[in-house]
Amino acid sequence: MTKIEAIIQNSKLDAVKDALHEIGVEGMTVIEVRGHGRQKGHTEFYRGREYTVDLIPKIKLELVVADKMIDQVVNAVAAAARTGKIGDGKIFLSRIDEAIRIRNDERGEGAL
Amino acid sequence: MSTPTSSREVRVLYTEESTRLQKDFAASGNGRAVLGQRTKLLERIICSLWQEHIAAHGVAPFALVAIGGFGRSWLFPHSDVDLLFLHESRATEETYKAALRGFSQELWDLPLKVSPATRTLAECERVNPDNVEFTMALLDCRFLAGNHELFSRLHDHVIPALVQRDAQTLLQKLAEITQQRHAKYGDTVFHLEPNVKDVPGGLRDYNVACWLWLISAMEKLGTWPDPITLLPLPARRQLEPALEFLIAVRCFLHFRHGRDDNALSWVDQDEAARGKIGIDKQMRAADWMRVYFSHARAIHRLTTQLLEEIPAARSSLYRQFQNWRSRVSNPEFSVVDGFICLPESSALEDPQLLLRLFDFIAQHGVGASTTTEHRVQQVLSSLAAMPPKGAELWQHLQVMLLEPYGADALRTMHSLGVLKVLLPELSVIDSLVVRDFYHRYTVDEHSFRAIESLQELASARSEWEQRYEELFDELERPELLLLSLLLHDTGKGIGTEDHVQGSLDVAQRALARLDLDVSDREIVLFLIASHLDLSAVLRRDIFDSATIKAFAEKVGTPERLKMLTLMTYADIKSVNPEALTPWKAENIWQVYIAAANCLNRSADQPLHADAEDEHFDRLHALAPIAGKKIKNYLEGFPLRYVRSYPAEEVLRHFDMAQRLEHAPVQTTLKRGRHWYEVTVITRDRPFLFATIAGALAAWGMNIIKANAFSDEAGVVVDTFYFIDRFRTLELNLPEWDRFQRNISEVLTGKADLEIMLRNRMRSENGTPKVKIDTQLDFDNDCSSHSTLLQVIAQDQPGLLHRISARLSREECDIEIALIDTEGQMAIDVFYLTSTRAKLTVQHQGRIKAALETELSSSVLSEFRAKSG
Repeated sequence: MTKIEAIIQNSKLDAVKDALHEIGVEGMTVIEVRGHGRQKGHTEFYRGREYTVDLIPKIKLELVVADKMIDQVVNAVAAAARTGKIGDGKIFLSRIDEAIRIRNDERGEGAL
Repeated sequence: MSTPTSSREVRVLYTEESTRLQKDFAASGNGRAVLGQRTKLLERIICSLWQEHIAAHGVAPFALVAIGGFGRSWLFPHSDVDLLFLHESRATEETYKAALRGFSQELWDLPLKVSPATRTLAECERVNPDNVEFTMALLDCRFLAGNHELFSRLHDHVIPALVQRDAQTLLQKLAEITQQRHAKYGDTVFHLEPNVKDVPGGLRDYNVACWLWLISAMEKLGTWPDPITLLPLPARRQLEPALEFLIAVRCFLHFRHGRDDNALSWVDQDEAARGKIGIDKQMRAADWMRVYFSHARAIHRLTTQLLEEIPAARSSLYRQFQNWRSRVSNPEFSVVDGFICLPESSALEDPQLLLRLFDFIAQHGVGASTTTEHRVQQVLSSLAAMPPKGAELWQHLQVMLLEPYGADALRTMHSLGVLKVLLPELSVIDSLVVRDFYHRYTVDEHSFRAIESLQELASARSEWEQRYEELFDELERPELLLLSLLLHDTGKGIGTEDHVQGSLDVAQRALARLDLDVSDREIVLFLIASHLDLSAVLRRDIFDSATIKAFAEKVGTPERLKMLTLMTYADIKSVNPEALTPWKAENIWQVYIAAANCLNRSADQPLHADAEDEHFDRLHALAPIAGKKIKNYLEGFPLRYVRSYPAEEVLRHFDMAQRLEHAPVQTTLKRGRHWYEVTVITRDRPFLFATIAGALAAWGMNIIKANAFSDEAGVVVDTFYFIDRFRTLELNLPEWDRFQRNISEVLTGKADLEIMLRNRMRSENGTPKVKIDTQLDFDNDCSSHSTLLQVIAQDQPGLLHRISARLSREECDIEIALIDTEGQMAIDVFYLTSTRAKLTVQHQGRIKAALETELSSSVLSEFRAKSG
């Protein structure tokens, strides 16, 4: 099993969710986050005050998938979140040792 | 039923009887019967096991006591069985330890959730502040088996003595626990999926009411009161149906979930409505929930009133506060112990007095006493026969909305049935459950919370709350925003697919009932129609200029943008306590400032009267005959002009412009809630804006905002919003004419502005409280044909006149001026041209130097000195 963490633009959440549903991925965790990679921050002046946003609002998606699904999921997320501009985000993959469904103690991929 | 004699027989009996109880409940829906029969069943089983495990060893020197829910014979199908093993001393506890373990084990194996407590009599004499719940459970104690004499000492002596001694502590602790529990559930009855035991208005509240009453009575009597007097008779009569209903619902949930789960989910609501739980006839789940809320509301009201009315339930500090609040009493309404009482002679049939009662609640945040509430309910039918409406009703409603406790007043009106008599349109959202995983409260409660969240900004703590507070303070018509929040989700109650459109339909009727001005209606309807737009932008790239521009253009004016921003803030905040994350609040603010800047930087976008625009449609509808003339008049004005004024106002300007041939300066003067507003329409000329600003300064007026627009034909529409610092206009009605006449005279050269200003400046010697550094920023990119200059400076008398006069001296034409004030900071945006073109970089440099000199403190002092 692999955990896929994707940092994407807010505006791309619906598109990514739809793309994942299309390939049969139903479960995911969505978190409101702030951060930056190479994308510069944003400064707006309002009434003489400077409002600098160096940590840009993004959405982080977390999902754990069976290994056979990895490529399909990564491709779906990347295709749906891509605009081709700086700030599109990142996808991170990491190994997961075990998954447990709390309700019935089911384990492994069956618990996903 | 025969008495079981073996463990196996006990288990069989328990299983069979539990199944029978469930079947009986399914057939009768009688929750009370379940409680009684299950209590009796458990008593039999427990006594049988007692015989087997304890009495078999001889006469037990200790007592088995039912406490808590079991003690009051309220055993729900899966609730805990609270037992007390009451010992004389620790010695007997040790002797019977093994036997008691076997006894308890048998109960666990049934399976029953037993909560056993072992105490000596001496331990029961003290209140443990960390476990006051145990003392509360003792108040429902009932003998089951064992040493009856020991139990009698507990019941007849120890508990009455404890209550007499520690009533104050018990009541205060009970109040604290109850408040904490209420706070956990957002202090409201109106949850979409309520926990019928623990939410405000749930069964626990009923228990609290009984305990409050019992402790209070025992403290006075020194012994147990007659159970029949546990609650006042009217309260008992009122609460009996509510209690029956809630007991039936909790039994239903226990049977349905197979455990002590009291959450009434949407699926449960469907099933309960279908199964006619607590009701006689089948109804829709939404209507069944309305029945639930009406009962929960009755229980909640009694509990909160008892918490307030029983003096010992509150700390002395709280009491002092309530006594202090009694000072707000007036001849019409007295505040006694934090509740509004009416003199006997008060005629609440008079709708004006009734509305003043709610104004009073909105102003002071005090609740109505039980008697006052009863009297309000008695006059509902006469109110319904001839309800106040139109401007009279709106006048009261807007005052109420603007008061610090406006939402509380609305809630009280709503719970007493007054609100739906006055605004029947709101009845569609009364206790309305809308199945939405995002929302936590009913639609009416959500709307009240949205209003409350703006009123609470007055005590804003976090940095981002303070930003929204500043924005709220700047609104010209906050009452329109609050009214929009009251109506924004009414569409959810009429079953249309698009609730926004539904809300607009309902709001149209409500606004007609309130007889709002057309321009005010437009604002309210705009806000309702757009209340999801900013949230939609949050799902886009909020740093994308095209997204912001499209949003800003749709909103149109800074004032509407401010209102919509606050509406979005309030709407999200009232969805559930976690909905408005700092992440969202920050993003809303970013959208706001980006859109505000976008509006200021596109203020000179030219207007074409043939373009498709709702404002033109409205103008043409209002004046179909004058259509072509209006078109000519508007041509060349910036788009911002028609968006800044209601259509009726633009038509008035048009009429005034038609009269310029006969009188070269046309003025109107109006008084708003916060400030006065003077509009001057005349032909453009050098120093025009500076001269009007100077005339106002000479009259001692503090200019808060200003708009200046001109069309291609050279007609200028300048509006100044100002505060009459010396109440000249307020106290002297004839001065209104003289003021307007004087502006005309100054503009036509018949009065000497310099002399007027000198006279005024002699008396100005205020020292600013906050120092604001001057900032001058030019932007040559945001407009196609003007240079934007933003001036931020210390606000001071005559400032606008000096800036604009200096700009004119520097050969600048002011195409548009957008003037604003925030506290002691003046924020002025000018769209400047020189010989109909943008300013060159060199020209900008000269202006900057000139303005810096003009605004430096030494020059100001010199100016004052000369004037003096």
